[in-house]
Amino acid sequence: MRKFFWIAAVILVVAALAYWRLFSPQGAPTVTVYVSHDQVFSEPILKDFEKDTGIRVRAVYDTEETKSAGAMNRLIAEKNNPQADVYWANEPIRAEVLRQQRIAAPYLSPNAVGVPKTFRDPQGYWTGFAARARVLIVHQDENPKPTSIFSYADPRWRGRTVIANPLFGTTTDQIAALFVLLGDERARAFMQSLHDNAVKLSPSNGDSADLVARSQFAFSLVDSDDVVNRMNRHEPVTMVYPDQGAEEIGCFIVPNAAVLIAGSPHQDAGKKLIDYLLSKETERKLAFSDAAQIPLHPGVATPPGLQPIDKIKAMQVDYAAIAAKLQAIQSFLKSWGRS
Amino acid sequence: MAKRLTLAAAALTFAAIGLAPVLTMVARTFYVDGEFSLTAYQALLAAGQQLTLLMGHSVVLSASVTMLAIVVGAPLGVLLGRTDLPWRGVFTMLLTLPLLVPPYVMAVAWFAVLGRLSTPATAQFLSSTFFGLYGCIGALFTAFMPVVMLLTIAYAGTVNPRLEQAGLLMARWPTVLRRVTLPLIAPAILFAAVLVFLLTLGEVGVPTFLRYPVYPVEILTQFAAFYDFSAATAAAIPMLLVTLLILALEIRMLHGPGLELSAATLVASNAPIRLGRWRLPLLGLVVAWTLVTVAAPLAALVIQSSSLSVVADALARASDSILRSVIFAMTGATLLTALGFFCGYLVHHRALPFWRSVDALALFLFTLPGAVIGIGLISLWNRPATNAIYATPAIIILGYLAQYAVLPMRMTAAILQQSPPSLERAAQLCGASWFMTLRYVVAPLAKRGLIAAWIIAYVFCLRDLGITMVVYPPGADTLPVRILTLMANGAPSLIAALCVILIVATLAPLGAAALWQRRAGLS
Repeated sequence: MRKFFWIAAVILVVAALAYWRLFSPQGAPTVTVYVSHDQVFSEPILKDFEKDTGIRVRAVYDTEETKSAGAMNRLIAEKNNPQADVYWANEPIRAEVLRQQRIAAPYLSPNAVGVPKTFRDPQGYWTGFAARARVLIVHQDENPKPTSIFSYADPRWRGRTVIANPLFGTTTDQIAALFVLLGDERARAFMQSLHDNAVKLSPSNGDSADLVARSQFAFSLVDSDDVVNRMNRHEPVTMVYPDQGAEEIGCFIVPNAAVLIAGSPHQDAGKKLIDYLLSKETERKLAFSDAAQIPLHPGVATPPGLQPIDKIKAMQVDYAAIAAKLQAIQSFLKSWGRS
Repeated sequence: MAKRLTLAAAALTFAAIGLAPVLTMVARTFYVDGEFSLTAYQALLAAGQQLTLLMGHSVVLSASVTMLAIVVGAPLGVLLGRTDLPWRGVFTMLLTLPLLVPPYVMAVAWFAVLGRLSTPATAQFLSSTFFGLYGCIGALFTAFMPVVMLLTIAYAGTVNPRLEQAGLLMARWPTVLRRVTLPLIAPAILFAAVLVFLLTLGEVGVPTFLRYPVYPVEILTQFAAFYDFSAATAAAIPMLLVTLLILALEIRMLHGPGLELSAATLVASNAPIRLGRWRLPLLGLVVAWTLVTVAAPLAALVIQSSSLSVVADALARASDSILRSVIFAMTGATLLTALGFFCGYLVHHRALPFWRSVDALALFLFTLPGAVIGIGLISLWNRPATNAIYATPAIIILGYLAQYAVLPMRMTAAILQQSPPSLERAAQLCGASWFMTLRYVVAPLAKRGLIAAWIIAYVFCLRDLGITMVVYPPGADTLPVRILTLMANGAPSLIAALCVILIVATLAPLGAAALWQRRAGLS
């Protein structure tokens, strides 16, 4: 039995030493960032930042696929004693929620110059960079192809379309944007038409894209990177930028957003990280990685398969208004999803 | 006096670690903008019909998985733990593999297997059957069946051999198993059933992946879509009711006559059951079962990751996370075993009036979604004065202690049930203090069970996602968290390689423990 206690003691000592090794201060300045952008794409950027600046990055990753249950909840729960210096949001609505909850601090980065005003908060509570477009992923065999998100209501595709759960992620943002743009009545009528036309729900955009690629559905509204990934894997899908006609509403654009956290412990290092994220070089890296993001700075090349931001007819909406609307329509979305 | 003080201290420590964060969360449900409000509960009642449906789904799923796990796991446990079936150790290890990885990995692996058979019929099967209740049952049954199997193996080996030998004078093995062995290990099987039921009840990953709406997803929705901590905590209350119901059923069933037989002796070991002419057919059955339920899905993962460059990439991306996972899990398991031993002793001996509350609390915390405990831990510990805990892995360890204490606690209680109380009394009559009795009588008798408890605690700590995801300190993620966050748009080969590494990281210390056990002559 003595052996047993010795082993337990050794385990605790080894754990304590390893703990000391892993968490003792290294002397280098640090910055803490919570990230909702996919880790597989964001981690290399943060490693490059470490290499270029010598500032050690301590990151908490989260993803849209996990419904961002981690990072945003932590930021809100930690409001009175913030641990994060920067939040790298994968869309600006969460950044707006942070501003409304007084968790974000204003910071006007010099690298924000050139980013279109639509994609940044005028006071600097968040600044957009490297965007995705909300597009239709359409199976190659579909002819004719849908050209609008209102094609969901077209009887031609009855029961053959899928959309990600509008309670989560960029689909929520887009539905809220429609409520802002069309007004409550028309937007609710549109949502009802989705039910009437037997549109199916999937857990996420990635699932929707897979279902279309596997020929189970004709098309779905997803993020542009979801389509580019499937096209790069030579799956039988194409990308359609919806509502590009002169009288149409345009395509909803979802930029990443960098947010400085109010009262965080490393404000200077946080600002340096935000400057880095907003740089043209970071946008270029994100564009030509598998993330396939659309650069917002003028003069940054766009990868094949994607349109430059100035060639896309973007939906003209105020992201702050979308964030406010999003809170207001949550109950509706919840009951819509259940019905 | 020392006994009562120590046990009370252990119980209070557990209550402080586990109950305080939850109470903090529950207290918050009664306040909106600093004022008393019942809004969270009114909203819960308003959605009653929908929530009942979701809870119904959860209960159907949990009951189905539990029933299947018992029907298959208990006979497998007896077969692998008590008979002369060839390569029992190998089969035990192989069949345990699905328990070592987060359940969603098994769902992903099954999806990979079915995806490889890409015919129109498979596509139809995927959409109509696999994505839904039946897929969830299959994936979770594969993942949790080893709980029943392992506990059956562990406890079938501790049955008093004299009782079985006496039975064999009158009847053959099948009858002895049915009338003597199984009733003796019924508490372990029942405990395993409760574990499987609760594990399934709290599972979010697999139902989300396979699109089957269950109750815990509703709680996650409150967190993820609405950032409404109060509503999420209030939504967890019905989980408490189901847990209490399960606990009541368990208590009622454990008061049956079977337990009267469980006084063990220390003199002989159990002889293996000779299978005779059934040896080869049963071997074939176990091989087929292992191939279908374990080898196929895991082989899909191994095949996907079978490239040196992929493994090198995975190691480069996750070496720190692997190290952290192992350290956190070993620390957590060691502390859990220590805490669980004292609390288990308390529950077994009913040494303090509130022993049942400790047991119920442990079970309740085990049922709570990790996110609820995680947010509770943040609410309680995220203060400048307690940064030494909150901003370090200590917060993860506290989470482990809160959520998984029931495992070593119940295992200790069950193993103590196998020890004759007369030995403790004899030691006390000889003048031994309580601590001496613990050290020289109780702990040596419980050694095998404590090692099993440590291993189970290690496995659960290593694969934890719910708590770790919410509270891990920046830059200190664990391997399961890293796998989950890399799953979004990460290359399937990379994810598969990381899953394989997770399995190896789990098996390495278990292999070392098995070797040590063998050298110490315990097996």
